Amino acid sequence: MAWTPMPWLTVLLVSLAYLSALFAIAHWADRRAAAGHSVIASPTVYALSLGVYCTTWTFYGSVGRAASQGIGFLPIYLGPTLTMLLAPLLMRKILRIAKTQRITSIADFIASRYGRSPLLGWLVALTAVAGVTPYIALQLKAVAVSFDALTGSFSGDDSPFLDTGFAVAAAMALFAMVFGTRQIDAAEHHPGMVAAVAFESLVKLVAFLAVGGFVVWGLHGGLEGLFADTAARPDIQALFAAEPALGDGAWATSMLLAAAAILCLPRQFQVMVIENVEERHLNRALWLFPLYMLLINLFVLPVAVSGLLRFGGDTDPDLFVIALPLSSGMDALALLAFLGGLSAAAGMIVVESVALSTMVCNDLVMPALLRLRPPALERSADLSRLLLAIRRAAIVVILLLGYVYFRVAGSAYALVSIGLISFAAVAQFAPALIGGLYWQGATRRGALAGLVGGALVWTHTLLLPSFARSGWLPASFIESGPWGIASLRPYALFGLEGFDPLTHALFWSALVNIGLYIALSLTDRPDSAQQAQAVAFVAVFEQSEPLEPPADWQGVASVGDLARVVARFLGPQRAEAAFAGADPAAPAGPERLRVAERLLAGAIGGASARVALASAVPGGAVGTAELLRMLDETSHVIAHSRQLEEKTAALERATDALRAANERLTELDRLKDEFLSTVTHELRTPLTAIRALTEILHDDPGLDPAQRHEFLGVVIAESERLTRLINQLLDMAKIEAGAVEWSIAAIDPAAALEQAAASTAGLFQERGITLETALDGALDGPLPPVLGDHDRLVQVAVNLLSNAAKFAPPGSRVTLSARIAGDSLRVAVSDGGPGIAPEHHAAVFDRFRQVGDPMTDKPAGTGLGLAICKRIVEHLGGRIGVVSASGAGATFWFTIPLADSAPRSRTAP
Amino acid sequence: MTARRGSREDGKPPRRDRMVALFLLGLLLFNPPLLRLFGVEGEIFGVPVLYAYILGVWAAMIALAALAAERR
Repeated sequence: MAWTPMPWLTVLLVSLAYLSALFAIAHWADRRAAAGHSVIASPTVYALSLGVYCTTWTFYGSVGRAASQGIGFLPIYLGPTLTMLLAPLLMRKILRIAKTQRITSIADFIASRYGRSPLLGWLVALTAVAGVTPYIALQLKAVAVSFDALTGSFSGDDSPFLDTGFAVAAAMALFAMVFGTRQIDAAEHHPGMVAAVAFESLVKLVAFLAVGGFVVWGLHGGLEGLFADTAARPDIQALFAAEPALGDGAWATSMLLAAAAILCLPRQFQVMVIENVEERHLNRALWLFPLYMLLINLFVLPVAVSGLLRFGGDTDPDLFVIALPLSSGMDALALLAFLGGLSAAAGMIVVESVALSTMVCNDLVMPALLRLRPPALERSADLSRLLLAIRRAAIVVILLLGYVYFRVAGSAYALVSIGLISFAAVAQFAPALIGGLYWQGATRRGALAGLVGGALVWTHTLLLPSFARSGWLPASFIESGPWGIASLRPYALFGLEGFDPLTHALFWSALVNIGLYIALSLTDRPDSAQQAQAVAFVAVFEQSEPLEPPADWQGVASVGDLARVVARFLGPQRAEAAFAGADPAAPAGPERLRVAERLLAGAIGGASARVALASAVPGGAVGTAELLRMLDETSHVIAHSRQLEEKTAALERATDALRAANERLTELDRLKDEFLSTVTHELRTPLTAIRALTEILHDDPGLDPAQRHEFLGVVIAESERLTRLINQLLDMAKIEAGAVEWSIAAIDPAAALEQAAASTAGLFQERGITLETALDGALDGPLPPVLGDHDRLVQVAVNLLSNAAKFAPPGSRVTLSARIAGDSLRVAVSDGGPGIAPEHHAAVFDRFRQVGDPMTDKPAGTGLGLAICKRIVEHLGGRIGVVSASGAGATFWFTIPLADSAPRSRTAP
Repeated sequence: MTARRGSREDGKPPRRDRMVALFLLGLLLFNPPLLRLFGVEGEIFGVPVLYAYILGVWAAMIALAALAAERR
């Protein structure tokens, strides 16, 4: 050995003092929490507690990996960094679900998602125990080996149960039992444990940074010096290239596995989800935890390089962290490094054993106990002690298993490589876990099949080969496959070669796991209980409080029954608090059933809670089935209420649309009423005149013939006006209803305008007005053809001309002109009449609008002429307007598209 | 409907979208083909290029995540 060892007693005493300090911190944190000032209600403590991810595998193993693979140690930390970035998306949802469902472990989470399946919970718990227990053994080994390195003793000589590994296992078991199984309610937090873990995270970070700083600046005088020293060592230089780590595809594989492990490792699920106090703590953890990982890895390469330079191949690179300060005479620093490693091991062992014991208790032992219903269990009124005892026993058994594995496997390959093999085992949970968060159609059968398939492939391609390489199975298992079947070779399954074992295993297990998960989910038809849980998970952010259950719901269990079950598992105080004030003889009803289920789920997990509740009914099988049906239907009612809410929202949108339509209809109705009253008024005026005059003619036979003739003339004029009004009304109605038949074609505008001028010539002559026409297009030659309806064009022109004839003073002149303006023909009728004020220009084209003072001016038209003109012109694709000022005459104009420039679409009505 | 919840409050892209973008960027920057480009001889601040690249990108991503996560 290249250094002077430290006295083992000193190391032992310091270690004991440190462990005592951990107990003190945990005890203090529990006291603070009980007093209402929880130290774990801090985002920084939360982020630090996530540092339990960095075990001795990081603290010692990273240096070892760096010494052989260069950057190959980094993907283990880059993967979780990337996963943490998805915290607002992924972890936030998991946290919310875990809180609403009172989840106690990852096994409970997955089982609850798929209809509270006991089988699924059992399977996840079993896989976790099988995959993670050797990982605990690795921690024990690391502590033992580092202790030996520090003190120069050899653990190989020690008798079993007296070595360092056993001492650490025993101390950690005690810690986990004291601080990890405080409450019966496993969904509650463990402030003492979390505070101690956060403190340990700090210690291991400080220890590693101190060693790193000493190595770089104390031993080599800076980074430049360190790397300059490697110039003569091509074997070390090779580590700086990408090849050692990227050669065989292991880089991406370990990154992916680590990314999944940060969610799926039981201890990570414990600290990240179960121990989380507030969702917003994630915002701090999502960057502080990656920063922690960056810092603890900062000096890994320098330490590895320095160790290789100093020791060559004589010392295990895993121990460089301790060997470098020790060989330089820095005993205190070496001791600090040992404490850092001890922290890394202790944190991992405690949290992992608490998480696993919860699973073992709730998903392995309780379901069996509840199903078998041993008589002793039936008689016991308070099971909370039994629950705690089971958990504590589970902790002891798990740590004992880990210890035995460490003693038996020793330095076997199976133990050395267990880190990534563990990751690959828990990664099998990822499809069911993440898929269950977003895919409502994922079912229990799919999850079960995927998990079983993935775990089997993992066993065959990773676990058994690691046994073979440890010598527990014949080496031919790897080379020629089990029973000599070449296509089953574990590192080249079905002939797939050229990958490293981990990538190979990940490929096949992911293929089988995800494939079965999706395929079986798609062909499955889940029952209502499963669907309700699927909705509760996938749509956790959209849920509202459950509906009030119908009043006439008859429960099969009484309140007293429920209170008794809750009291058995959680103690009488909790039951008293939950059902205070209720008549024990009253039927329980769905609301109280759910309360009881949630309480029980927090203690013994969702799947067991249902079985326990079933035992509340004294009536036996029929009553049990009825009670479970009730629970399912309650969940179903909640799922339905959500669907109802969605439908209500859709109805509200439809109602809004209807209301808007109704408002518009009301407005149209008002306009129609107005129109009708105007029309009636217009019809009544000539009718009144006709009636008055004909009454005079009828009552007075001796009327002067001249007067009689005058009256009859008025009667005829008013009748004509009436006829015209009715004709125009009909015309208007036809146009507006689209019932007019248009014959649109290329027509000669000059002919139409001349026809209009000819038919109004009499009017002008009568009033002594001169009508001038300018229709020859002046300098442009004859007018080009336009697109329109000849008769309608004449109608418009006649209308404008007769208007002019009405308003122009006698003796004045009216001009009808036409010229080309752009791609249309502009026709104008100008008169020298009183003109129209600009503010009325738009209004003259409205129905029944006659400009002028209604009290003094006698109406000269029907008020429909211009409105009809406007509609005709617009239908033909033109525009109509008036240019005028009061007292300066008026020019009414309209345009009509030319035949050769109008778009074809305009031509079809 | 949930996807836009964050943006409704302040009109900026929600934290979640930034994080997902950062995640995708990380996938890209830590990809083996890109890393091979940096596996050359030479040093930055006395550190081999490949390490300087990975640590630098890592630190930058953490800084960006911290900025996005802690900004109210």
